[in-house]
Amino acid sequence: MKAVRISLTINSAVTGPHQVPETLPMIDYLHEYCGLTGTRFGCGIGACRACVIIVDHDDGTSAAVPTCFAAASDFNGKKVRTIEGHAVGGRLTSLQEAFLDHFSFQCGYCTPGFVNEAQVLLESLAREPVPRAEVDARILTAMDGHICRCTGYVRYYEAIRAVILADPRLTR
Amino acid sequence: MTRTARGCGTLDRREFLRRFIVGGIGVTVLPFPSVRADTFGLPSSSPDARNGPPHRRVDGYPKVTGAKLYSADFRAADMPGWPSRTSHAMLVRARDVSQAFAGIDLSGLEPSLRPDRTVLAVDLAAARLRVPSFYAGDLLCPVGQAPAYLGQPLALLIWNDFAAFAEARQALRGAANPVRHGAIAGPQPRTPYGGMRYVRVAGPTPDSADIYSPVLDGWTVPERYQPLPPQQLSGPAAPRFAAEWDPPNPSGSPAARASYYGQQVRELLDNPNPDLLVIEQTFHTPSNDPVFLEPETGLAWHDSSRRTLELVLGTQSPDDSASSIGELVGETSGDLRVENVVAHCTSIGGGFGGRDHSIFPLYVALAALFAANTPVRLANDRFEQFQSGLKRHAFEIRSKLGIDRKTGRLVAYAADLTGEGGGLANYSASVGLVAAAAAIGIYNIPKVDVSSVVLASTAVPAGSMRGYGTLQSMTPLEVMIDRAAEALGRDPIAFREANALASGQRNLTGNIPGGAVRTQEVLDKLARHRLWTQRSADKKRHSALYPEKAYGVGVACVNKDYGGGADAALAKVEMTPEGRILVTSSAVEIGTGLSTAIAVRTTEHLGACADRVTMGALSEWKPLRLETSGNPYTIGQAEQDAAASNPRWVPRLNVSTYASIGAHVDTHVVAEAARIVYRFGVWPAAIAIWGKGVMGGQAAGEFLRPEGARFVGDALTAAGMEPLPLARLAEKAHEMGLVTTAMVHGFNRWNWAAAAFEILGARWEAPIDALAVQYGRGAASERRALLDSSGFHLLDRISVDFPNTRFQRFGTNYVAACGSIAVVEIERSTGVVKIVEAYSVLECGRAILPEAVSGQAQGGFAQGVGFAMTEFLPLFEGGPGSGDWNLDRYHVPRASDLPLWNLEVEILPPLGPTDVPKGIAEVVMIPIGPALLNAIYDATSHRFTSVPVTASAIKEVLG
Repeated sequence: MKAVRISLTINSAVTGPHQVPETLPMIDYLHEYCGLTGTRFGCGIGACRACVIIVDHDDGTSAAVPTCFAAASDFNGKKVRTIEGHAVGGRLTSLQEAFLDHFSFQCGYCTPGFVNEAQVLLESLAREPVPRAEVDARILTAMDGHICRCTGYVRYYEAIRAVILADPRLTR
Repeated sequence: MTRTARGCGTLDRREFLRRFIVGGIGVTVLPFPSVRADTFGLPSSSPDARNGPPHRRVDGYPKVTGAKLYSADFRAADMPGWPSRTSHAMLVRARDVSQAFAGIDLSGLEPSLRPDRTVLAVDLAAARLRVPSFYAGDLLCPVGQAPAYLGQPLALLIWNDFAAFAEARQALRGAANPVRHGAIAGPQPRTPYGGMRYVRVAGPTPDSADIYSPVLDGWTVPERYQPLPPQQLSGPAAPRFAAEWDPPNPSGSPAARASYYGQQVRELLDNPNPDLLVIEQTFHTPSNDPVFLEPETGLAWHDSSRRTLELVLGTQSPDDSASSIGELVGETSGDLRVENVVAHCTSIGGGFGGRDHSIFPLYVALAALFAANTPVRLANDRFEQFQSGLKRHAFEIRSKLGIDRKTGRLVAYAADLTGEGGGLANYSASVGLVAAAAAIGIYNIPKVDVSSVVLASTAVPAGSMRGYGTLQSMTPLEVMIDRAAEALGRDPIAFREANALASGQRNLTGNIPGGAVRTQEVLDKLARHRLWTQRSADKKRHSALYPEKAYGVGVACVNKDYGGGADAALAKVEMTPEGRILVTSSAVEIGTGLSTAIAVRTTEHLGACADRVTMGALSEWKPLRLETSGNPYTIGQAEQDAAASNPRWVPRLNVSTYASIGAHVDTHVVAEAARIVYRFGVWPAAIAIWGKGVMGGQAAGEFLRPEGARFVGDALTAAGMEPLPLARLAEKAHEMGLVTTAMVHGFNRWNWAAAAFEILGARWEAPIDALAVQYGRGAASERRALLDSSGFHLLDRISVDFPNTRFQRFGTNYVAACGSIAVVEIERSTGVVKIVEAYSVLECGRAILPEAVSGQAQGGFAQGVGFAMTEFLPLFEGGPGSGDWNLDRYHVPRASDLPLWNLEVEILPPLGPTDVPKGIAEVVMIPIGPALLNAIYDATSHRFTSVPVTASAIKEVLG
C-alpha cells in the first residue's frame, strides 16, 4: 500500500499534512481525514456530480471537480472550496438563499454539488457575462451533469436563473 | 385465506405488550440528537414568518450548508459516548447464482490489506441470530449452497484501518475477487410470493347492489400455483407459474363464485358480440432502481459491556428496522449478547419506497456484532446499491378491454398481471394486489376480473417503489383507452370523461371512494389546455417547418390511492410558556418536505407554524403506553371489539413513511394534537383574559365559542375581543395549569378511528385513539397528581370507534387524480425523442405547502420520463446483480431530457376551506409515461407495448 503525504488548502484553511494511500479518493480524504462530510458520495464514477468541489486555480478561474474517483493526492497543494466553506459566520450566499427561497431541493443530498457547480458558474459569468437571452442555455450547459432524483431540476434552475438575472454584472 | 398486506412484516407475531420490547430486548428508536439532524427549526429571519406559509423548508438550512444530516455523514467520533475510531465493513455479494458458494479466498489481497474479520453464515448460526420472518432467508449464503438470488451477501468483511479497507475494496472488485465457486447448481423454482384476484360484476342499474364484489364477497387468493412448462423467458416477468383458482360455482364459496363470475367476464371478452369492441394487449414494464442519491449506509456499535447495540440508520421504516434488529439479536449470548437496541434514525437522501423495509439495517447490526466492540460503518457504493437495493417489480400485463361500440361505454375489463419479485419476499405479495386493485384506474367498468401473481426468482429483490404496482397496471390501461378511443373515432379525453368514475360510484373492489371524485375536473382541465385544443394546428405547423421531425401530442389520466389501509401515526405538540410550538412526529423526512408540512399544520389551531419539528421519533410515545395485538388487515370484528375494551389497545402502533401518507396521515395527528392544545389550553386562557374584571370584563357582551375565534396575524380574537398574541395566551395557559402539551395516536383503516375523552371535565371527541396531556406549570396539586412518572396525564378513552373490519376489503378508499399532456418531437433519422412541452394537473385537496406539491409533481414528471424512456435493468444475467451497474449504464433523466422551462404544473384549488390534504407523491409520476406513449403513437402511428421506449426502437418503426 503506497502512501503519499498531502497538504492542501480547504476553505481557506491549510490542512494536513496527512499520510494517505496513493489511490485514496479525494472524497474519502474529505470525509475520513478532514471530517468534512458535506461533500456527498453518489456514484463513485463521476456520473452524478454530487461530489464536486471547487478547485481555485492560480489564474483566478475555478472549476467544479468530482472527488469520488480522483485521488486525494491529485489535489495536493491545491486550493479548494467545499460546501462547508460557502456560508461564512452563518451568512448564506445569494445562491444558497435562492435555493432556499425557491424550495429548490427536496432530500437535499445532491445540493452541495449543485451549490458548488452553480457558484463556479456565477463566478465565471462575473468574469465573462453572457447575453440575457443565453442565460438558460448557459445554465443547462453548466449544470446538466448534475443528477437530482427528487426535484426534476426545475426549481434548482429557476433559482440559479433568478440569481443571475438579479445581478447586473453577470449578464449583458 | 392468507394475505400479505402492505407494511405488515410478521403476520402472526404476537404483538401484545410489544411496546418496543422485542423478545425481551428494549428497543429504543431515537430521533437524531437535536444538535444535528432531525430536529429542524424555522428561520427566525422574519417576524411574520410563523404566521403565514413558511418561506423556506424547515430543514433547508442544514441541507444547503452540507450539515451532517444523513446516516452517510456520521462516524463514531460524532456520537456521544462512543469510542472515537470507526471500523469499516463491506459485504461480498453473489454475482452468480449458477454455482454453489464454496467460500472466501482472500489470498489475492496483500496481507496488509486483508480484513481483520471475515464473517460467514456459520458465524451467524453460532451467534444464534434469528432472521425476522419478513426477511426470511439466509442473511449470508451458507458455504456449499447456491446463492438464493443475485446480490445475496456471501460474507461480511471488517477492517479496523480505513486506508486498508479503501484499497482492499477496490482490489476485491477486480482481480482479487474472493468468491470461490463450487458445483453447478440447477434451477430451484420457488412458489410465487402471492396472488390475488379481484372480480366485480355490477348489478343491472347503478343503484343496484353488486352481483359480486371483493367488498361484499371477499378477496380471492389462488387455490394453488401450477408451474408452467419450462420456456424461454420472453421478457420481464414472463409467467412461470399459473395461479389456479377454485372451480367456478355460482352457489359455492366466495372464491368459487369469484371464479364463476370472473369466467363470465372473460367469456364476454373472448367471444364478443358484434356490438362489443374488444382491445387486447400484452404490455411489459421493466425492473427499475429508485436511485436515491444517498446509497444505503449505517453506523453501529455493539458495546458488550452495556449489552447495547446502538445504530445510526437512514430508513423509511424506523420502527421495523429497530424491532427487526431486536428480533435478530434476541438470542445472542456471551460477548455478543444484546439487551438494548438504540437506533438513531436520520433524514435520508431520497427513498421512493426503496428504503422501506430494506434488509440493509440488519447487515449494519451484523457488522457491529462482529466488530469486537468497535463502531463500524457499512456503506454501499453505487455498484453495491444497484446490486442489492430494492427494485421496482417488472410486470407483464395481459389485458382485454371491452367497449360498447354504440354508447362508447366501457363494459368489461380482464387482466392478468405477473410481477417479478426477485429473491426475497419483501412487499411482493402486497405490490401485486395493489397493482390489481388499481388496474381500471379512473374508470367505471361494471364487469371486471383482474388477477395478479408475483413470482419469486433469483433476481435482485424487488420491494416498495414509487407507484407500488399501480404505475405498472395503469400505464397499459391508458394506452388501451387511447386505442379504444381511436377505434371508435372518439376524442381521447371525451372518451375518458364519458367513462370516468364519479362521486358515489363504486370502484373495482366495489367500494365508494371517500370524498368527492374530482377526475372530471382534471379531465376538463386537460381538455381545455391549449396543448390539447391546438394540437392539430401545432402539429401541422411543426411538420411544415421540420419535416425531418415527427410531432405528437398524448394525454393520460390516472388516480392513485394514498394510504396503506392500516396506517398509524403519532404526534406531540407542546406549547412553551413563551408561546413556542414544538412538534414531535413519528414520521421520517424522506425529502418530500413533510417536516415543513408538519410545522405548518399547527397554524390552523395555534395561529403559528411550529418553531421546532423533530422527526423520526419512536421512543417519545411511552406516555401513551400503547398496546397492540393481531393483524390490522385480517383481524375479525369480534376480536377487534374485544381488544378495544382495553383503553391502551390500538390496532397498530406505527407505520413506515410510505404510501403517500405524509400529508393525510402524519400531519393529521399533528393537527389533532394542536387542536387539543388550543381548545383546552389557549381557548380557556383567552376566556380568562377576556373575562377578567368587573361584571365579566370585555367578554360580557358577546357569546364566545371556541370555534368562533380566529388567529389574525399572531393574535387570537373572537367576536371583536381584544386580539391576544399566542405568547400571552401560552403564558396564561401555563399559569392556569391548562393543557399545554398533547400527545396523540391516530389509526386509519380507510377511515379514522375516533374516540371520546374527558379533558378538564369536558367531553372531547376526535379522530384519534389515544391521548396523553401535560398541564402548565401553574397546575394545582390535584391536577399535578394526575401526572404519571412520564410527566403526562394518560387519558382513558370513554368510548372508541375503530373502523369496521369490513373496511379491510376496500382495497383503497382514498384517491387523488392527476393527468398529463405531453408534446414530443422525434428526430426521424435517429428516433431520439425530445419532450417539447408538458402539462400536469392534479388535485390534492388542501395543499399544506404548495411548493412541496409542485415540487413533487416536477420530480414525479422526471421519474415518469425515466420509467417510460430511459430506465431499464435486466433481471438476471447481465443485470445489476452482477455488481457492475452504475449511473453510466442506468440512465436517470437529466435536466436536458426534460422540458425544464416548459413544464406547467397546475394544482386544483380545494373544494372548500375544510378540505383535508391528500397524498399525491406517487400519483404525480404515473400519467407521464402513458402520455408519452400516446404522444409517440401520435407522432409515429406505432403503439409501443413495453417501456422504456428507446430511440432505436422508434427509429426502427419509423423506417
